Amino acid sequence: MDALVAESLTKVYLGRGRRRTLALDGVDLRIGKGKLFAFLGRNGAGKTTFIKIAATLLAPTSGRVSLFGEDVLAHAPRLREQIAVVPQEGRPFFHLTPREHVYEYLRVRGAGAESAHARTEEVIAAMGLEPYAGIQAQALSGGLQQRTLVAMILATEAPFLFLDEPTLGMDPFARRQVWKVIRQATRKGSTVLLTTHYLDEAEHLSEELAVIEAGRIRYRGTASDLKSSLAREVRLEFGPGFTAEELTPFGRVYVEGDRTVLLTRRSAVRELTELALERGSEVALGPVTLEEAFLELVGRPIEEEA
Amino acid sequence: MTRGSQAYSALRICWFNGLIPLWRSPLLVAAVFLTPFSFLFFLFVIEGPTNPGLLPFGITGGILFSTLFAGNGMLNDCAYLRLERQLQTIFVASPVRPFSYLLGMALSELAFAAPAIGLFILILALVHPFGLGTLLVLLGVIGLTWLMATTLGFLISTFFRQLREIWPIGTLIFSTLAILPPIFYPASVIPARWQWAAFLVPSTYASQLARVALGLSFGSPLTPPLLNAPWFYVLGLVGSTALFAGLASALSRWREP
Repeated sequence: MDALVAESLTKVYLGRGRRRTLALDGVDLRIGKGKLFAFLGRNGAGKTTFIKIAATLLAPTSGRVSLFGEDVLAHAPRLREQIAVVPQEGRPFFHLTPREHVYEYLRVRGAGAESAHARTEEVIAAMGLEPYAGIQAQALSGGLQQRTLVAMILATEAPFLFLDEPTLGMDPFARRQVWKVIRQATRKGSTVLLTTHYLDEAEHLSEELAVIEAGRIRYRGTASDLKSSLAREVRLEFGPGFTAEELTPFGRVYVEGDRTVLLTRRSAVRELTELALERGSEVALGPVTLEEAFLELVGRPIEEEA
Repeated sequence: MTRGSQAYSALRICWFNGLIPLWRSPLLVAAVFLTPFSFLFFLFVIEGPTNPGLLPFGITGGILFSTLFAGNGMLNDCAYLRLERQLQTIFVASPVRPFSYLLGMALSELAFAAPAIGLFILILALVHPFGLGTLLVLLGVIGLTWLMATTLGFLISTFFRQLREIWPIGTLIFSTLAILPPIFYPASVIPARWQWAAFLVPSTYASQLARVALGLSFGSPLTPPLLNAPWFYVLGLVGSTALFAGLASALSRWREP
């Protein structure tokens, strides 16, 4: 059964002076129950708009979204019992501690005192928030504030979790702790829709992903399928001794510090590695990363993104 | 969630958004005290020696000012939590109904205003003693004024997309409600042909009703005579409260268009 179905979903924002911005353009999407689905796209691509509509926060211009078979416009109050949202760039209450945030949010949502207490301690520990659990949010770093907000939402174990850039501003250790708790949520049956700009996060977490560009779904499938779908499937990273100009005929080239990276076909590997050996230059061979595949797909040169 | 659970949710919002911050930062209360006490101080210094009868008017004004500014707090807090901290989002996308969120936020604002209101009532009781019946009427006026101001504050907060737009507009609206009309001064000092204009502002009804209950009078009766009728004050206060509460429930943008 599908947990979320979007059909021909379109959203046009009307700005000042009747300026129209097309944020979603006929999006069709299905997310299976219990799946962890990632939404990728550059800033302004339409990810947050999609989440807002699906989470009953924003009305679409046309099309429809249903959650667990019920239309989000017609049955919003009932569906709100089954969802929880980490908003993009949200911040916790100044005066509350992380423990109070989680506990109070669970109580507000109707949990009993005992179960809310037990769940709070469980999530605080799982998210690595124990050392900070009694400190007011105003004294916490941005990353810890974000972890607090994510802990509030994940603690709910809602059947559908919308996580809009949940690990924004977190260090790599914290991100991995959050990933663990997100995975636990899906194991317990929650469906997760995640947006992120960390491509490694999408690759590690999601069973399926979609790439959205200018309000349209450009790709839907697994991360490995996205990488293997590209014409250039191999990544060669050269040390000093090569210029971007001489590598350009072999594929897409970009420069990272003193390294030159080439995305190319397998057939070119032998020729280029031999050339590197002749010149005494370092060369490293590997698969194209999801980030490179993403940038190739959305069609903007990598150097421009950098 | 049942209705009982929704009411409980509102109380919990008041607990963590109003009472906990108040307990941890008691200085927040000073902000509510400061303006009405300043007005009262100037009134006392300027008019006190010649017109000691005006002091209870000023104290009643302090009570209503503190209550009305709960609406300004509501406007600022709701806008801040929605626009700056994105916290309204996590309550919208949850079993908490709009009414519970609104009530919880409004009770939080009342928690901030309560110490000032309580102190003004105490001072009033010392300066102008009154009975239990009068106290109950006064509490009823405070309750309706709080409901009117906070629903208005919430309603306005939902229409803005920028926090910077909120602050000047909030000050403008709530100053119009709490400073310009006869809240701190008797309505009879307004020129007779303009006295009706004071009743275009809903807070005037609250102020006049409180004064009738307290038996405060100053100067000549208002013109036209309708403006002296207690039922007119009750009708005005209940009507404007129902209007703003109705508008807040019908027009507030819980889901962005």
